[in-house]
Amino acid sequence: MNPLTQAVISGLMSGAVYALLATGLVIVFHTAQIVNIAHGEAYAIGGIVAAVAAQAGAPLWLAFAAAIVVAIFFAVALERVLLRPRRDWSINALILVTLAVAFFSRGVLNLLVGSDPVSFPRLFAGAPLRFAGGVLPRQGLGLIVIGFTAAIAVTAFLLYTPLGRQLRAAAENPDAAELMGVDVDRARALAFAIAGAYGALGAVLLVPLVSVDFQAGLGMTLRGFIAAAIAGMSPPLAIVAGLGLGLAEALVTTYLGALAQDPILFLALIGVALWQSRKVRFGGSLRA
Amino acid sequence: MSRSRLLALALAALAIASPYAGFPGWTPALATAVAFNTLGLLGLNLIFGVVGMLAFGQAAFMALPAYGAGILDQTGMPFILAVAVGVAASILVARLVAWVFVRLPGVYLAVGTLGFGYVVEGLARAFPSISGGASGLVFSRGRAISADAWYAIAIAMLSLGLVVYAWYVRGGVWRRLRTICHDELAAAVVGIDVVRVKATAFTIGCSFAVVAGLLRAYYVGVIIPEDAGVDRSLEQVGMVMVGGLGHFLGPLIGTALVQWLFMITGYASRYELVIYGAAFLAAVIYAREGIAGWIDRPWRRLARRLDGEAPREPALRQPTLRSEEAGKSGAVCLSVAAVSKRFGGVQALENVSFEVSFGEIFAMVGPNGAGKSTLFNIICGIEAPSSGTVRLRGDDLAALPIHRRAPFIGRSFQVARLVPDLTALANVMVRLDRIAPQLAEAERAALALAQLEAFGLGPLANRPVRTLSLGQHKLIDLTRAAVGDPPLVLLDEPAVGLTREELTHLAQLLEQLRARGSAVIIVEHNIDFVAEITGRGIVLDSGRAIALGAIRDILADQGVHEAYFGALA
Repeated sequence: MNPLTQAVISGLMSGAVYALLATGLVIVFHTAQIVNIAHGEAYAIGGIVAAVAAQAGAPLWLAFAAAIVVAIFFAVALERVLLRPRRDWSINALILVTLAVAFFSRGVLNLLVGSDPVSFPRLFAGAPLRFAGGVLPRQGLGLIVIGFTAAIAVTAFLLYTPLGRQLRAAAENPDAAELMGVDVDRARALAFAIAGAYGALGAVLLVPLVSVDFQAGLGMTLRGFIAAAIAGMSPPLAIVAGLGLGLAEALVTTYLGALAQDPILFLALIGVALWQSRKVRFGGSLRA
Repeated sequence: MSRSRLLALALAALAIASPYAGFPGWTPALATAVAFNTLGLLGLNLIFGVVGMLAFGQAAFMALPAYGAGILDQTGMPFILAVAVGVAASILVARLVAWVFVRLPGVYLAVGTLGFGYVVEGLARAFPSISGGASGLVFSRGRAISADAWYAIAIAMLSLGLVVYAWYVRGGVWRRLRTICHDELAAAVVGIDVVRVKATAFTIGCSFAVVAGLLRAYYVGVIIPEDAGVDRSLEQVGMVMVGGLGHFLGPLIGTALVQWLFMITGYASRYELVIYGAAFLAAVIYAREGIAGWIDRPWRRLARRLDGEAPREPALRQPTLRSEEAGKSGAVCLSVAAVSKRFGGVQALENVSFEVSFGEIFAMVGPNGAGKSTLFNIICGIEAPSSGTVRLRGDDLAALPIHRRAPFIGRSFQVARLVPDLTALANVMVRLDRIAPQLAEAERAALALAQLEAFGLGPLANRPVRTLSLGQHKLIDLTRAAVGDPPLVLLDEPAVGLTREELTHLAQLLEQLRARGSAVIIVEHNIDFVAEITGRGIVLDSGRAIALGAIRDILADQGVHEAYFGALA
């Protein structure tokens, strides 16, 4: 077996998930101007709902549909019930609300499935593909293809369709967008729905390969945020950054060991922070 | 000592004795753990409650020194040295984390501190031979100390922590931290070095955690990787929120209540996380002042009744302050030379030049979007010009950050940017704290009060700003910009929303500033007011200067009429 090929394969797989997560995070950021700390919960909720449904004997397609629907419901409810009525709160206060939601969601998931990891069968079964000394499960191939296709599709939607442009206008200047006839509330709800759906999509594709536990959400938020921040919150770059982050993580795991993952991610975050700081002229994230 | 103080001390003594009274679950052992945790959370309350920084790695900063000292102790290093190195290294790490993340929007610190928690927890797990792995690192030295002695140590350390906290977070520091919490931009404009103050507050807050975490480890006798983890940090944020964010006793009330509740309900570990999460969420949304917030007002009322009205301090003579010598009347104060500013494809300012002299009131007029506010932002350092220079008394300002321009430039905002929970007086004083640090607190108060009285705001000086009207906000913002007679005063639409009487006050204030030698620039749409009080002015239209000179000539100019007054003319 060739460790490099294998590392690239697993990097592509986690990269596809990070691209999905980063894209969702960026879309929400562009419409609601907040970084949603509860973003990764869509992944954890999606994975756990699918596992619970599959365990209860539901057919796989139904389990997946349930996972995505519940995750969308979760994300839209967060926007509609908790964030929308508090639009006059400061950004930091709203970020705190999303953190509280993440914390609460962890607790509920822990109650639901306990602290052991859970999983469910693969959608794409069959013998894995072998090439260049690496092994790629069919599920992995599905993940890579579907993940990147979905991430690219939503980016194109955001950049090139009238509705996508409205979404972005809603973020840049909500009042002006409102005056121009953009339904800002609907745009935000749509953004949260996409983000929720993509989190769950990542989960239904990746979890059969790696399993999921109740506390996976914050770790996924962390990775999605690092990718989004590397991309400077730009939608097309977020996909590239997600892929890069996945590859880097896989290479670190292969050559330095799984234990080096968190420190390396943290170093990446420090790198991003220092890189972004160069734009800050005089101390503080200041805007008049 | 006042009667309310005596009552507070008596209550504290009762609280200290309470673990021996036999309340169910409230044992000296639990109280000791609560005291150590509270000590650590004092720091979180400072960082998160007072300054408003989103920091979610407090548990990691409590675990780090314990691991450091414990591991070094095992190597045979002298105990005291191991502790000293563990503490010093942990504080250094806190300082580095602050340095990396506080410059950026709050979410970077939030994610950075979360990530830091993952790292510490992960490393503790990764090297079981050194850190004890999942079963934990054992601290045996604490066993020699009796339980009662531990309780005495805990009370002593917590008392010391509370004293240090109260001593640090008062007067000017409190004003400074609250201003940053509410509005970093306004904080920088009044002269606060936002990044440095935030980094310092973060480091001090983490130092509380470092000391508390070390003590707790020796008391409990073991530390496990989860102690550093994200869940523990989130629980701690939840406790501070329940207790009362930013309140002196918030961490103590929150920690004691939550830990005691879990004790009597029998550590419902399966439900623990969801209960914490629900409490946290509820506190974030519905009870942002927490329990201490509910107690605060009745306590103040009681204290007033016990002590009677505080005797009014005799009015101090107003000190004369010339922190920055204004120049001779007529000499050039501000010189703007060929300044341009582009935002992406938009040309906000194009080749604008003018000069303003000391002892002059200068008007800047033009339709909305003409570039007036951008020009103000460039002068006080919020934006950098794309090209051109801004000089004050001949010195190029380009390299001077916002907060270092404050002694020379006072600025008011189009919409007043005050801290709602500070008094009118404190909002004005926060600028004096920075530009006149040589004055005593009482002198600064007297100076700020005198300035407020000039506006007829004297009786409102000790009211929190949130209880005042918008017009009053405006006047307080103006007062803050003008206090200390800076050489240059920038006022953004000062007359909007003022009553006739307030306008008269404003005109008097401007005249007073002018007479004392300040250069004053006002952006204003009230043309009658402009014509009445200003001597010269500039008209901007779409980023270009279309007229410059005596205000009388400008207002008569045909081109200005077309650009500015349009159909009205």
